[in-house]
Amino acid sequence: MKNKINIYLVEYAINAILRQKSKSFFIVFVFTLLTFLLTSVFFITNSIRYELDSTVDTLPQIIVQKIKAGRHYDIDVDAVDNILEIAGVSDAVARVWGYYYFENAGVNFSVVGIEQYENQYKNSFEKIASKFDLSEIDAKVSMVVGQGVKATMHDSYYKEYFNFIKPDGTLKRVNIAGVFEADTQLESNDVIVMSKDTIREIFEIDESKATDIVVKVANPEEIPMIVSKIKLIYPDTRIISSEDLKVSYQNIFDYKSGIFLALFIISLFTFFIIIYDKSSGLSSEEKREIGILKAIGWRVDDVLKEKFYESFIISFFAYTLGVGLSFAYVYIFQAPILQNIFVGYSQLKTSFELPFIFDLQTLFLVFFLSVPIYIAATIIPSWKVATLEADEVIR
Amino acid sequence: MIELKNILKTYELNKNDKVVALDNVNLTINEGELVVLKGASGSGKSTILSLIAALSKPTSGEVIVDEKKISKLPDNFASVYRRDNIGFIFQKYNLIPTLSVKENIILPLVPLNPPANEILEKLDKVAQMFNISHKKDALVRNLSGGEQQRVAIARANVNDPKILIADEPTANLDEKLSLNFIEILRELKALNKTIVIATHDPLFFDLDFVDREIQVHNGKIVL
Repeated sequence: MKNKINIYLVEYAINAILRQKSKSFFIVFVFTLLTFLLTSVFFITNSIRYELDSTVDTLPQIIVQKIKAGRHYDIDVDAVDNILEIAGVSDAVARVWGYYYFENAGVNFSVVGIEQYENQYKNSFEKIASKFDLSEIDAKVSMVVGQGVKATMHDSYYKEYFNFIKPDGTLKRVNIAGVFEADTQLESNDVIVMSKDTIREIFEIDESKATDIVVKVANPEEIPMIVSKIKLIYPDTRIISSEDLKVSYQNIFDYKSGIFLALFIISLFTFFIIIYDKSSGLSSEEKREIGILKAIGWRVDDVLKEKFYESFIISFFAYTLGVGLSFAYVYIFQAPILQNIFVGYSQLKTSFELPFIFDLQTLFLVFFLSVPIYIAATIIPSWKVATLEADEVIR
Repeated sequence: MIELKNILKTYELNKNDKVVALDNVNLTINEGELVVLKGASGSGKSTILSLIAALSKPTSGEVIVDEKKISKLPDNFASVYRRDNIGFIFQKYNLIPTLSVKENIILPLVPLNPPANEILEKLDKVAQMFNISHKKDALVRNLSGGEQQRVAIARANVNDPKILIADEPTANLDEKLSLNFIEILRELKALNKTIVIATHDPLFFDLDFVDREIQVHNGKIVL
């Protein structure tokens, strides 16, 4: 019984690749590079999209901020009581938070004040509140930090405590009580959680003031109405609904996607130049070889099968290599350079780890954008030559 | 038996310019016959060989081999016909220089995907017959002209074809190697193969084992 795959044809195809070492090496190099670039970009965007989606899901329903001269100012804590009186509002909490720039490492920490009874915070913070005894944290002037913060502080030899520099230049020593893990690293990696009193002292925020107020609404359908009511009471505020935040996050991501699109287009453009070059004709040597094969009894489909094996071997090898390198680059080495492009303001944020998202669709997309196109670009010109009279080709 | 009936073969140089390569050629070659086509370059000898091997089709007329109209065969059937019936020794050998002797010789067998032992058996048989066994693993590009010709002859015979065609087989050889080729030809003739040779080399004229010499001039057979 005959084998379905003609092993001699496969062997001939491998020989054909090896015979043209420099040309084959160049094609594998370019193909691998493009596959690597495309797959890496897809992997990174998938991971960041996952992070953003997870973040957006945990955002407060309404945030009320005081605006003066177009800038964000601290809001009166008394406003909480007035907002609570609006029908439909189930809870309102004054938040105290801010960014602390740690000059030594050149990064910003997001410092959040939290109290145990508060349930307006993101899910991850609620978990922190339930896991750590915040009253004790308050008593001992302690804080709970994200993993990125912990790593940054360790690098600067702060292992058990950290000295915050207050606006008046004096130091505030705060003990590190623990490290938390959250659902999303993008959201929590640079976060420090401490008591509101401690944060007020560090940022010199008055007892009667808060950074903003977060509002919880029993029926999410009523959010637009509640927003307009708050605006009526406090015209000097900016009121941000979770929907606005989603749009804002999406805009940032879309902007990053624009860069991705540019990379994507450049990659495809380069790939198609190669394809065009390849499909525009065979070299005289390649034509002659097809002519010889036809003259000694190879049929058109024998020639095309051989060309298929040849192009499949080279393109699938390069594709696999590109995807493999991309896996290592994104998920093992955390995509140096490219991650900065997509995450943005990396110099001010602590680094975060790209979560591993295995997306079969991405692999299929890159496969179908590259391998079959390359195979077609190899087979079509070969088919054109193979269907000519053998005599004409050899001559 | 090979029959060429009323063959007209023209080549189009451009839209308005045509060259008549063969004009009303009629020729019959019997089984086991060795025929030498003589004539100057461009007389049409190679075109006759090309038509017999179904490498090209006549503009009009018929080529019949063993009662089959091969001039009407679709391309794929023409390939199968060549594979099963024809051994072609080209003027410039048409070997693939970057492949080894062994790989070149077995090329006609590759599409058939035969068992490995069958391939080896056929390879050994022709390599020994044409005295190239000792160079089986050498790259063709590293061989001398005479050795390359022996590889081409071995490749043409690996399928044990009934018809052997040689186009100017000694054009690139010195006299000694040409005489060697003539000896090989004598052996092949003894195997009762039908052999058609196109040449203008005087060494082929008046050989005792040549059955017929046919003069081709300006695309016509001169009687």
